[in-house]
Amino acid sequence: MAFVSFIGPAYAATPPELLKGYEAQSSKASPARGEQFFNAKHGKEWSCASCHENPPNHDTKHIVTGKVIKPLSPNVNAERFVDQAKVEKWFKRNCNDVLARECTAQEKADVLSWLMIVK
Amino acid sequence: MKTYFLLPLLALLAMPASAAKMTMPSDAPKSYEAECASCHMAYPPGLLGQKNWQNIMSGLDKHFGTDASIDAKTESEISQWLLKNAATKQKYSAFAPENRITKAPWFIRKHDEVRSDVWKRAGVKSPANCSACHADATKGNFDEDSIRIPAK
Repeated sequence: MAFVSFIGPAYAATPPELLKGYEAQSSKASPARGEQFFNAKHGKEWSCASCHENPPNHDTKHIVTGKVIKPLSPNVNAERFVDQAKVEKWFKRNCNDVLARECTAQEKADVLSWLMIVK
Repeated sequence: MKTYFLLPLLALLAMPASAAKMTMPSDAPKSYEAECASCHMAYPPGLLGQKNWQNIMSGLDKHFGTDASIDAKTESEISQWLLKNAATKQKYSAFAPENRITKAPWFIRKHDEVRSDVWKRAGVKSPANCSACHADATKGNFDEDSIRIPAK
């Protein structure tokens, strides 16, 4: 995929724009489903919350290395979900870690829609 | 006659100083911080030899239990820089088992006074978390005088 290798402001986006994109590939997002998905384990050792905690509205620590992770919710951290390539890269990496597969557009839409209302 | 005793002594005194500096080269590509320092600190390349860095960079999709994959262009940029700045002295370039800095012979020797319960403290979490005790680790300063071990 071409966009993966392209890094730069051309892929600047806003959280609502990204959400719209994922919804266009699936169906309407459900924040409740996203919250559940975020906090559940999916057959492997970790959930999303293992590193990002619940609610993900504060600095947290990587479960293995202890490195500080900035808040994930775009309400608290304006640098989240504003770069499509970066968002796709992290969904790929972290979904592999949590689910042993890539996430579907529906799962991304659900999680993002919940993160957008986390206070 | 005196110098026979003095020389080895001087060499011994010089050792901790050379080990304490693992300077971060100033020409690190921006991608190194962005891609490699999100989950752990940006390790100075001089902490491992070339073979270890090659192994790490060719297996990023299975990176110590996580997927740390990056695109090909960034991978080659980071690889070249790591290999250029990898450890060259025998002591630090000796192969680290499992490509882990924390399993390198010099690392084990340097930390042999640290009790096993210290590694497990919440403030430390992992031997890979250099900054827990070495406050200036990200600058490549591992000087013994600046070590602060978390109490919990």
